[in-house]
Amino acid sequence: MYKWFALKRILRGLFMFVLLMFIFSWLFNQVTEKTQRDQIDERIKQESMRLKNVRPEQMLEWRLNREDQLIKLYRLDRPMMERVLYRALRGVTFDFGDSTVIKSGKGEREVRAIIFEALPRTMVLFTTAAVIQMLIGISLGLKKAQKPGGKLDKATSFTTMLVFGMPSWWLAMMLILLFVYVLKLFPSGGLNSVPTPEGFMFFLDRLKHMALPLLTLVLLGFWGMSFTIRNIVLTILQEDYIMSARARGIPERKVLFGHTLRTAAPPLVTMVLLGLLGSIGGAIIFEGIFSWPGLGNLYWIAVQQNDIPVLMGDLAITTALWQGGLIVLDLTYGFLDPRIKVGGKA
Amino acid sequence: MSAKKSNSRFQEFWDDFRREKSGLIGLGILAVAILVVIFEPLFLPYKDVNEGNWRNISYWEDNSSAAPPAWTNIFTSKKSAVSTTFNSPEVSTEEDPNYGLVTTYSFKYNYKYDLPPLDLIIRAKASGMSLFLMELERPDGNIVPVGEQFFEGLNEDQIRFSMDTDAASNAYEFARQFASEEALANSDSTTIRPTFVAFSETGSDMLSARVPLKGTYTLRIRVPSFITDDSNNVLEDLRLIVTGRVSGILGTDTYKRDIFTGIVAGLKWALFIGLATSVVSVLFGVMYGIISAYFGGFVDTSMQFVYQIFAGIPVMPLLIVLAAIFKPSIWIIMGVMIVFSWTGSVMTVRSMAFQIKEETFVEAAKALGSGKWRIIFKHIAPILLPYSFASMALAVPGTIVYEASLSLLGLGDPTIITWGQILHDAQNSGATLNGLWWWIVPPGLFIALMGATFAFLGFAMDKILNPKLRTR
Repeated sequence: MYKWFALKRILRGLFMFVLLMFIFSWLFNQVTEKTQRDQIDERIKQESMRLKNVRPEQMLEWRLNREDQLIKLYRLDRPMMERVLYRALRGVTFDFGDSTVIKSGKGEREVRAIIFEALPRTMVLFTTAAVIQMLIGISLGLKKAQKPGGKLDKATSFTTMLVFGMPSWWLAMMLILLFVYVLKLFPSGGLNSVPTPEGFMFFLDRLKHMALPLLTLVLLGFWGMSFTIRNIVLTILQEDYIMSARARGIPERKVLFGHTLRTAAPPLVTMVLLGLLGSIGGAIIFEGIFSWPGLGNLYWIAVQQNDIPVLMGDLAITTALWQGGLIVLDLTYGFLDPRIKVGGKA
Repeated sequence: MSAKKSNSRFQEFWDDFRREKSGLIGLGILAVAILVVIFEPLFLPYKDVNEGNWRNISYWEDNSSAAPPAWTNIFTSKKSAVSTTFNSPEVSTEEDPNYGLVTTYSFKYNYKYDLPPLDLIIRAKASGMSLFLMELERPDGNIVPVGEQFFEGLNEDQIRFSMDTDAASNAYEFARQFASEEALANSDSTTIRPTFVAFSETGSDMLSARVPLKGTYTLRIRVPSFITDDSNNVLEDLRLIVTGRVSGILGTDTYKRDIFTGIVAGLKWALFIGLATSVVSVLFGVMYGIISAYFGGFVDTSMQFVYQIFAGIPVMPLLIVLAAIFKPSIWIIMGVMIVFSWTGSVMTVRSMAFQIKEETFVEAAKALGSGKWRIIFKHIAPILLPYSFASMALAVPGTIVYEASLSLLGLGDPTIITWGQILHDAQNSGATLNGLWWWIVPPGLFIALMGATFAFLGFAMDKILNPKLRTR
């Protein structure tokens, strides 16, 4: 039953996420607590400044009381395992308290607000790029598989290897050098120009700002994808039933799209989604080059400002995205390949 | 033919590999890269950069800042002076009206450009005291008095005289002999550039027209005999550095560092980080897969659980957070990369090992009384390891990019030089928006080239080891 398969997979994903949050919470226990203590000190300092007409002894007593109160609130007085567990559970709901430096666009200090503000921007960029990459990748991959060893196949395979280890952020720098410094065609970064235009012009303006980041992702993304697709399709084209289909006189187009692509679908989807996941996990910091204010850019700022809570929140949301991607991957695979659903008891 | 049969497995592989053009290209580049690493001192223009001098500002102070590569002169209409160093002066003795017998060190500089150098720097290592009487003889016979400088209390110290900063008033005095009243009224010794005065044709408008005077210039440094006669005063390693507007093979950055030096010095780190990390992590992954499959049952289940935890971690983000919080050295960064990136080949190896463990030769080994580990290491691993070579090669580019990305964020190990760190400095100085392409293009290009090299090797091996992908 697909329903049970899906439910099981989602639950397993959730469990993994909770487990990872626990590991992270344990791994970064010391630094998080130090930041929390610093934040408590800062808060008490600020609050004590507001107190008026108090004698020094009273002030001291108030301070100690307040500190005790806050330490209890953050459970810093509890045994270590309990603290780690408590923070892991808060982390599951992306509750990482307040940032130390970074503020969201509206000026909020809450880490949750900051990461959920950045999340949609990253999603928009990467999903648009993914769709374009997939379109180019699949059509190029099929073209390559039709004439393996041909000129097109050889040339594109060579390029695939050439760009295999090219960092996306370096390509981003190159594109800025070319399109911003030399040709002066696009803005160098940001979401929108200042002042932000309204209505339809807003949309165009956004598109103009998105052009270079998109171009970077697409230029690097589709090569590997088309190469994988070529290999999967080629492997299937050597199967007996393809030969028999051809022998029956079925047109080549139909063999390719009907017979081959249907069989190729499960591994193909896996490969494509895995590639996309990889790009979100690996290439995300390229956003910083374009100051595209998504999750990747947040890593840059958080590292520069040494903002630990934001860093933890960013890690949590990226891990959640990653786990979510893996779930989607398995669910699509199970959907496309009926053998998987029964859990391997075919 | 007999030799072929004896070590047939490797020979067979090599016969196939030889036919892969891209694989051979990869092998070629890798060989060149390894040679460059081995003979690194031959290629390094600044030999002692590896001793922590990359971030030492005073080490680079004689260079020009943000100078394009020397070969850019080919494409520009106005040729700029190239940075050069003269190490061996001509030594002679002569009679000086004021100081009596003097030792003269003269450097001949053939100036054939349109834009003069930014600075002429005289450097030496000296002990005791020394007196330099310096002058520059121009091709037109005029003599620019560069200056007189007295050094004392030296103990094998570096002495440095910069024409640009230390000879401005002398150069202005020289210009006063020729320039018009009007031109002089609009300038003083702080607004002129000494090298422009020294390398321009004389005339009333020499301060503004700056017509280059080409030909051979002679810089003379006279040291009076009362200094040279005293054996306590030692002067050695006297050299003239011409700080050009263009410099070296790949130019300099805004910190005056020679970029070519950085690229050559970064190569060994890229190779080492890439190879060591991917070999160890793939080997670990292969052994993990084999052990998981061979023992099966509870061991397999728990090992698969651990595998899934590690496979569910996005490596790059975790690396960033770990590096940002713990500020680790390169060894720890490599260790962390191994810990989180061995998962790649586990599943394929595991399924292959499941098949192999049912083969008859494994049964036979068991019947002969071989232990579990003997079977794993002697019988199963040797069959599966060749398949992992392709994975190793293909894991190298990713590793190099991971390190470079960390360095780009400013989280690299500051005791080494990597290409990512060069790009970090470039990004921080706004090199992209200021058009300093020679600072951005080479490091990234070399990261990409190293990646391509291992991709060539990996794909070629993959094609040979996975016969289904063969097109022929």
